Amino acid sequence: MRRRTFLAAAGGGVVALIGAGAAVWTQVPVIPKRPDPDVETALGWISHRDGRYTLVLPRAEMGQNIATALKQVACAELGAAWDAVDVEPHDTRRARVKATVGSESVGVFAEPLAQACAALRDAVAAGQTEGQITVRPRPMAELRAFRPGAIVGTSPEIAQGREIVTGAPLFAADVRRPNMLYGRVLRAPASIEMRSAPGSWDVAAAQRIPGFVAIVEDCGPPIAKARGLGIVATRPGALDAIAAALAVAWDIRGAAPAPDIAGSIDVDARTGAGKLPHTVLDGAPAPGDWDVSLRLDVPFGAHAPIEPRAAVAEWQSGALTVWAGTQDAFYVRDVLADAFGVSADAVTVQSHRIGGGFGGKTICTVEAEAAALARATGRPVKVQWTRAQEFALGFHRPPSSHRVRARVADGRITDWDHAQVSSHILFTSAAVPAWMQKGTDLLVGDPGVARGMAAPYVLGRAHAAYDAIRLPVPGGPWRGLGAGPNGLAVESAIDAAAIVADADPLAFRLAHVADPRLAGVLRRVGAIANWSAAATPAAGQRTGRGLAGGIYKEKSYAAAVADVAVDARGRVRVTRLWCVHDCGLVINPDQVRAQCEGNLVWSLGLVLSDELAIERGRVVAENFADAPIPRMTDVPEITVDLIESDLPPAGAGETAMVAGPGAIANAIRAATGRRPVRFPVRAGDLAA
Amino acid sequence: MSFILNGEGREVPADWADESLLFLLREHFGLTGAKFGCGVGICGACTVLVDGAATQSCMMRAGDVAGLSVRTVEGLAEGGALHPVQQAWLDLGVPQCGYCQAGQIMLAVALLDATPRPTDADIDATMEVGLCRCGTYRRIRAAIARAAEAV
Ligand code: FES
Ligand code: FES
Repeated sequence: MRRRTFLAAAGGGVVALIGAGAAVWTQVPVIPKRPDPDVETALGWISHRDGRYTLVLPRAEMGQNIATALKQVACAELGAAWDAVDVEPHDTRRARVKATVGSESVGVFAEPLAQACAALRDAVAAGQTEGQITVRPRPMAELRAFRPGAIVGTSPEIAQGREIVTGAPLFAADVRRPNMLYGRVLRAPASIEMRSAPGSWDVAAAQRIPGFVAIVEDCGPPIAKARGLGIVATRPGALDAIAAALAVAWDIRGAAPAPDIAGSIDVDARTGAGKLPHTVLDGAPAPGDWDVSLRLDVPFGAHAPIEPRAAVAEWQSGALTVWAGTQDAFYVRDVLADAFGVSADAVTVQSHRIGGGFGGKTICTVEAEAAALARATGRPVKVQWTRAQEFALGFHRPPSSHRVRARVADGRITDWDHAQVSSHILFTSAAVPAWMQKGTDLLVGDPGVARGMAAPYVLGRAHAAYDAIRLPVPGGPWRGLGAGPNGLAVESAIDAAAIVADADPLAFRLAHVADPRLAGVLRRVGAIANWSAAATPAAGQRTGRGLAGGIYKEKSYAAAVADVAVDARGRVRVTRLWCVHDCGLVINPDQVRAQCEGNLVWSLGLVLSDELAIERGRVVAENFADAPIPRMTDVPEITVDLIESDLPPAGAGETAMVAGPGAIANAIRAATGRRPVRFPVRAGDLAA
Repeated sequence: MSFILNGEGREVPADWADESLLFLLREHFGLTGAKFGCGVGICGACTVLVDGAATQSCMMRAGDVAGLSVRTVEGLAEGGALHPVQQAWLDLGVPQCGYCQAGQIMLAVALLDATPRPTDADIDATMEVGLCRCGTYRRIRAAIARAAEAV
């Protein structure tokens, strides 16, 4: 029973051959195109008809509530009432929309949108009711959207909020099409970097499952090197039973890859073998002993969105429509066109609200599975990954290993050295073809790994360098990219240096800050947290308070204070969090606060729980029980304060990741006298 | 196999009886508020009320709702007026991505039905099952307190 595709009529169990042989799927990845928007393109986002406006959202909405913020910009600039503007998600029949990544939606999209809205407002005021208009960009100061007013700088009810609380269909998995079937593509229980393919399977047993429709061999491109076997049913619940009955025997080629991931990125072993190739800070520390020398290790971490990715696909007369929750609909379209040998015009990807992206939903996977199964069965097919697939088949925050050293004299850091070894975040195998990787590895390294390595302080002779190693488990962008782990490493070392200098950690930081905005958030967080006071008390437990700050992408600023309590067995509870945030002009204060809160919960996860278990190059976590995320009872009271500013608006979706982890780790040091260096922290390392 | 769905009599088709209640609701009845998050009862995204009790619908066999009453997030608002829990969720801007929120709201409704003035410990005990990766927990807690005042 190999190399054939079977379709059984839904009711009758008739088996018919509907395709022969697995196609040869192209092995050259499609490279994502990410052009910044211009004002001309922005005209395509906003339209007017009979007194109403439609804003086609040029971003993916995934909880950053960018739909609300851009609607505020549009309303303010158009002078339109809140209810006169409808917001719709985009599809790929419009001009290309840049991937929703890097917290750029306000920073990069608000101005072109405002320019387009200003031009539209003038055209409507001049009586124009149809046809094209031209935008003559005006100075920022003339744009109404960037002056706080009745709409900008306030927090209206969030766009789609009512739909969310009433359960209206918003997400890709909520799409239902007439005659729709449910599919899944099974893959080998092995590292996806090993060649694997279905060997044999039990058709007869699968056919006996009520709801069975088809087994599809020709089920889309491999994920990394893992080929799949598709199954289709009339009910989603039948898929588990069909998968079990099929009992696929997998052909898995080669030996399991590098079992020792921690060993392959061990920073001390790597620096012992030679200079790190990519330099972030090029100062030359003087030779001699160091006062601080910290080794920190962070493992693989999952995005773990509550929504496992999903897509619905439908073919009609050679044209493909896919409903997807993706951070990059146009990239998905390009990959689908390439994979199925059709023109880009023949593929439409309709974007949906995403149930949590965090950088992880930027690739094309489930969309191609749905498209292949829909093509094989001739009916619309919905595929939503299982939780285990979401852990196993995506990419993750790569592990990183840091050595940070500092020398202190007269209360100041005079020399600094940060060495890091990690794996690729931006120039991954999914994003860059193999032939190009050699060039990027040699010449540019990986800016995602470097993000946040340039410590935001004046540190004398400061050096920072890294290497990125290809690992058998795919890494990639995860909220803040390198900034979370790098901020944790930098702020732990600054804290340790303050202890060497016998200085207050806040005063010590301020003595090393040149950037007034960073000094501003540090001072303010000290004030709102009453920094010099004792940590929140917890009976019978060791308590402590920690501080950290940082700059994200040279545009936005955050500082945080954390209180923790550690019990006798070494279990850590964060008991209070404060955060001050400066991202320039704030369009929607409440939702910027919400992003800070989310980042602080992610910070807590990074320090206390995030770890994706890998064995023999394979993710073995199957559920939240195996890879826990922060829960209600883990999250303390949070106070967020925003700096009022009229500087150009910048992003908020990742900024507090630079500060939260360091503040929590430093609080643990303050409580226990032990500096956390292996993350997530282990109770055994902190027992009294 | 009949049951009550948001106040109205409905039938579970024989060939859906072995399906989970979650997919019966989502795919057969088109009530897509409850979400699939884990499929094993530990994330809470699929929570609905079965005879008033918060129930992870991914863990319940569709056929087993025969004779019972099921309430979903779609059945909370009455005559266009949002349930106080829904209103509190909007007033405090709770949702980020929103994927977990129908489950969180149903957990909160069950909590307030049973305990109109919940303590922090009551909230912890009921809401512990509801995972939110976006980290909206503090707002959920605040919204429950606000809804408790409104109920
Ligand atoms: S989907 Fe039911 S508890 Fe997670
Ligand atoms: S709002 Fe996104 S998972 Fe809760």
